[in-house]
Amino acid sequence: MSDGLVQILDGNTFVVSDSRGDIEASLTDPTGLFSFDTRFLSKWILTLDGERLNPLSVDDLQYFETRFFLVPGTGTVYVDAKLSVIRRRAVGDGFHEELTLLNHDDKPVEITVRIEAASDFADLFEVKDALKKKGKYSADVEKGSLRLGYSRETYRRETTISSSAPATFDETGLTLLAQIEPHGAWTTDLDVVTAAGVGGTYTTPKYHREGSKARPNMERSLDKWLEDAPRLESDWEPLKTTYRRSLVDLAALRFAPPVMGGKSLPAAGLPWFMTMFGRDSIFTSLQSLPFTSELAATTLLALGDWQGSRLDDFRDEDPGRILHEMRYGEMTAFEERPHSPYYGAADATMLYVVLLDEYERWSGDRKLVRDLEQQARAALTWIDEYADLMGNGYVSYKRRNEKTGLENQCWKDSWDSISFSNGEIPGFPRATCELQGYAYDAKVRGARLARLVWKDEAYADRLEHEAADLKRRFNRDFWVEDGEYFALALDSDGKQVDALSSNNGHLLWSGIVDKKKAKAVVANLMGPRLFSGWGIRTLADGEGRYNPIGYHVGTVWPFDNSFIAWGLRRYGFKDEAAQIAAGILDAANYFQGRLPEAFGGYARELTKYPVQYPTACSPQAWSTGAPLLLLRTMLGLEPIGENLLIDPVLAQGIGRLELLDIPGRWGKIDAFGRGRVKVAGRRSQRQLGLAEEIMPKQKRKNGKKGRVTA
Amino acid sequence: MTDPTGEFFDELGRRGHEPMLRKATGVLNFDITDGASTAHWSVVVKKGDVSVSRAHDEADCTLTTDRPLFDAIVKGEKNAMAAILRGEVQIEGDPELLVLFQRVFAGPAESTRRRETAVAGRSS
Repeated sequence: MSDGLVQILDGNTFVVSDSRGDIEASLTDPTGLFSFDTRFLSKWILTLDGERLNPLSVDDLQYFETRFFLVPGTGTVYVDAKLSVIRRRAVGDGFHEELTLLNHDDKPVEITVRIEAASDFADLFEVKDALKKKGKYSADVEKGSLRLGYSRETYRRETTISSSAPATFDETGLTLLAQIEPHGAWTTDLDVVTAAGVGGTYTTPKYHREGSKARPNMERSLDKWLEDAPRLESDWEPLKTTYRRSLVDLAALRFAPPVMGGKSLPAAGLPWFMTMFGRDSIFTSLQSLPFTSELAATTLLALGDWQGSRLDDFRDEDPGRILHEMRYGEMTAFEERPHSPYYGAADATMLYVVLLDEYERWSGDRKLVRDLEQQARAALTWIDEYADLMGNGYVSYKRRNEKTGLENQCWKDSWDSISFSNGEIPGFPRATCELQGYAYDAKVRGARLARLVWKDEAYADRLEHEAADLKRRFNRDFWVEDGEYFALALDSDGKQVDALSSNNGHLLWSGIVDKKKAKAVVANLMGPRLFSGWGIRTLADGEGRYNPIGYHVGTVWPFDNSFIAWGLRRYGFKDEAAQIAAGILDAANYFQGRLPEAFGGYARELTKYPVQYPTACSPQAWSTGAPLLLLRTMLGLEPIGENLLIDPVLAQGIGRLELLDIPGRWGKIDAFGRGRVKVAGRRSQRQLGLAEEIMPKQKRKNGKKGRVTA
Repeated sequence: MTDPTGEFFDELGRRGHEPMLRKATGVLNFDITDGASTAHWSVVVKKGDVSVSRAHDEADCTLTTDRPLFDAIVKGEKNAMAAILRGEVQIEGDPELLVLFQRVFAGPAESTRRRETAVAGRSS
């Protein structure tokens, strides 16, 4: 996001404007009102007596609501305005703007208020690539409104603008006359409503002018959302800030797909990725399971509904495959892009089974596991029937849509993310290592569900047998003897793509690593080539393509690290997991609790603060979820049968950590822990901003302690 | 004269049970326009059990489009979801039911994957 831009959203409808509240879309400033991946307003400029306004301040009230304070003129040094302007804008289906003019003078004033409005109805893909439109535009002035439209064959999108105060509409906007008494105020309510389809099937606005205030639906649920989440108590104040930030951002990232009847799942990122992504929605659901299981349930249902059923090269679809990304814009509609939906992800299908099992462990909701048996079986079948492109017993990927499909179908999806140690790039298909880990985990977890819920002993045995065989082969074929770690991938000749990468951490998480190899893998992860002091780099220092600010070749990804920490715990490396958690949470501190997608891989002692990697989307769902998963790993939360095991191992500097009312099949449980693991580079408690007087009052609670409250 | 739409519904009705629709329950109406006339089909799905009739009862989801397009959709030449986004197919009611139902439409006849599998099958 460019600097100075303000964004608010509700579901997949969002507004990006400048700090005056104006929208003036250009190639470099992708501002506008967007909904269902289409820009419905590309121009929305307010003038008073022909003059633009000057921003005094912007007040982000909620993620869906902003207030702009403005004065006339573009004074550079000092403004002595006799007039001030407040634009209060809330997003719903379109947006609602309450425009107020305040006259501070002793005399009455008469002001011509003008709003220039236009829409280019650009697809989000067009906004990125600056493509030319193929359809026809219209602007219809009707009684009390202006209707902007765009048509291409049967495709039609409309934006309708109306005002509560009398206004004169023309094809490029509306004009109002504000007569204001001395020290008086003048207000109008402006509605911008979006519509799709033939004849304009309007969505009902979530707010009405008759009500005292414009209120989208989402707000009430934000309060409830925060109230329902476990409470975090700690003497480490920044952690509380980060936790709250994560919960609020996760609420903002909720997206209710049209097929889910109002239930929401985590979208990938705000604002450009406010849609369903298989991989991102699943990872974020996994991270947030100890805090809410509702996102996981909706993710499983929605992705299950859209599960692939046929072979379709354009969409890279196979039977049983879980989608990668869903879009609703014009280019998708006319099949110039394959996102209706697009299936080109090699990991989402296996992660789907992993999430289903993890969801059951936390929630105890066997009904959903029964309901989704067919989907889970189809996903497991996909692994062997459709994902083994080389016929060598490993999952690999190669796009069939060579024009608009994705080349890299793993989470490290940039062009140079998969490389040999010498920097060379392998051909396709590519069998990246973490995919084998996910396949192993999916089979093991699938077997558990088959035995427990689907009551199919033979199927469970078969899956377990396949998993064991995969593990045996994997530990032989991917193991780089010299370096004692797992290769990043096997190329199309079965040769090891031998760079050292963070993917080793995901392998620990999946459980595919032979116990006797784990120590060496951890030594590599925590060694100076991968561990920066903040977290594990995506690619090790010293590799041919290593670059501390390379997207997937050296930066540190909070999401990646949260799963690595989980993997370290899985193999009993609790202190190392605590180190990672502390490093990433310390970094969060520098971003006011909102972790970016990635930050530089520079050594901690070198930069002293984490260098943010510039990204288009913030917050990013799986970065938002990272602190949640790190809390889980620090407290050692693990559902065992009907109970929650609590085994806290925390870094020094966290004197006290309490997570209260953790929801699950046990009702609600509290977890406590205190720091003891020494972490290099971490400053003392006083420097970390602790209120020192709190410390002695705390009753030291030692280690494993859990209390069942329900 | 071939009638892919008619054959599709006849065949679906004969199947009685369609495993791909096991998660679906509800009534889908299809209003297929052909010039000035409209043909109706009604599909009742109950956890994968399917019955097809020409009745025109109340539906949970109604799909409206013209015959050439629907012919193309059932043959796998056109994608239903993209056609909905284009406004060429209109739906009213529960979209989830339609998302589940569209699985029974054929996929594209040509697929690299199918070809590769066939080649691999021959060589082994």
